[in-house]
Amino acid sequence: MTETVTSPRVADDTTRTGGPAGWGAGRRRARAARDAEFTAFVESAATRLRRSAYLMTRDWHLAQDLTQHTFTKMYTAWDRIRTGPNLEGYSRRVLMNLVFDQQKRRSGSEIVLAEMPDQPDGTAAAGSPELRLALVDALARLSVEDRAVLVLRHAEDHSVDTVSTILGVSVSVVKMRNARALARLRTLLGEDFRLTE
Amino acid sequence: MDANLREHFDQAVSDDPGFDPGEMAHAAIARGGRVRRRRRQMAAVGAAAGVVLVLGVAGGVNLRSQPAQPSDQPTTVAAAMMPLASPGCSLKAAGATDVAIFLTSEVTQAQRAAILAALQGDSRVEQLVFEDRQSAYEKFRELWKDSPDFVAAVSPKDLPESFRVRLADASTSPAFVAKYQEQTGVQDVVGRRCPQNAAVGGVQ
Repeated sequence: MTETVTSPRVADDTTRTGGPAGWGAGRRRARAARDAEFTAFVESAATRLRRSAYLMTRDWHLAQDLTQHTFTKMYTAWDRIRTGPNLEGYSRRVLMNLVFDQQKRRSGSEIVLAEMPDQPDGTAAAGSPELRLALVDALARLSVEDRAVLVLRHAEDHSVDTVSTILGVSVSVVKMRNARALARLRTLLGEDFRLTE
Repeated sequence: MDANLREHFDQAVSDDPGFDPGEMAHAAIARGGRVRRRRRQMAAVGAAAGVVLVLGVAGGVNLRSQPAQPSDQPTTVAAAMMPLASPGCSLKAAGATDVAIFLTSEVTQAQRAAILAALQGDSRVEQLVFEDRQSAYEKFRELWKDSPDFVAAVSPKDLPESFRVRLADASTSPAFVAKYQEQTGVQDVVGRRCPQNAAVGGVQ
């Protein structure tokens, strides 16, 4: 069980090597090609995915864990999904399902959030630690479904249609949750946190 | 459409501590590869069982079902069957506050009892929890519920039992891990550094 992962260096067209002796080597090359393709996908998608996981969970370690799990799951199904039209969307769906499960499991032992700071009173400049934390804390106060819509729609810039596909809910539900979540954010963060719609 | 909000979100993740995507891909391939191999094994076992059944019916012979065994039983537990780390916990070889001790699938009553006795008599242990296969299986099924074929291929006996420990003093963790790693019946010992409110053992 100590299989070493072959270094990603072989292209797809070498997968079909004929000849009796070429069989094992061909399979190894096919796997190397698959692993290279998968690695490239991870490298392109990991940062954004992990940051969304953080916005969902307020916890970088957990975000890392959930992202790792997402990629592991995707690798197990890679042959089936690699040619799919929307790998990015698929990865979001896997991640969000993991987040939903995770939240459900820990909801029994939910820790009480610290008091929200009474700010912002206009002193917290955008990008300051206060506002940065304030946004993440405020997100944590939304329902996980509403939070998912905000993160996918506004942090990741997906269209309403894409968000609806990722979450498996109708377009009108996405719009409704989005409006509700934005209103809630505005209440939590104060008018100073300007949100244009 | 909402550039302002987008900026706020970007700033909210600006304290990203960073990570290594290559490492992440590597880990996914190693763990996911194990799941793939296991699935293939299961499929082969299923196919073999099907053939036996068909032959049995065709020949009119009442074959007693013989449980087919995968020829090469995995010697390590697939990472996919490991529980998730608790929120806030990070893997640490040294300075771990919490330790999970996973038992092998062949662990005997006596070995399990010996490990338990050792832990109960160990002054470094502050809290101790035992997770049995059934409980591990419930969590596993929940975690992988969108992969029903995989869940169907795994039963409680495929999942490791574990002792979860919170140490009184994190500085004792290297010696602690080393000691229990040596015990017969132990598959793997994993130390994590966790906040106080995390589950004992650092895993869910």
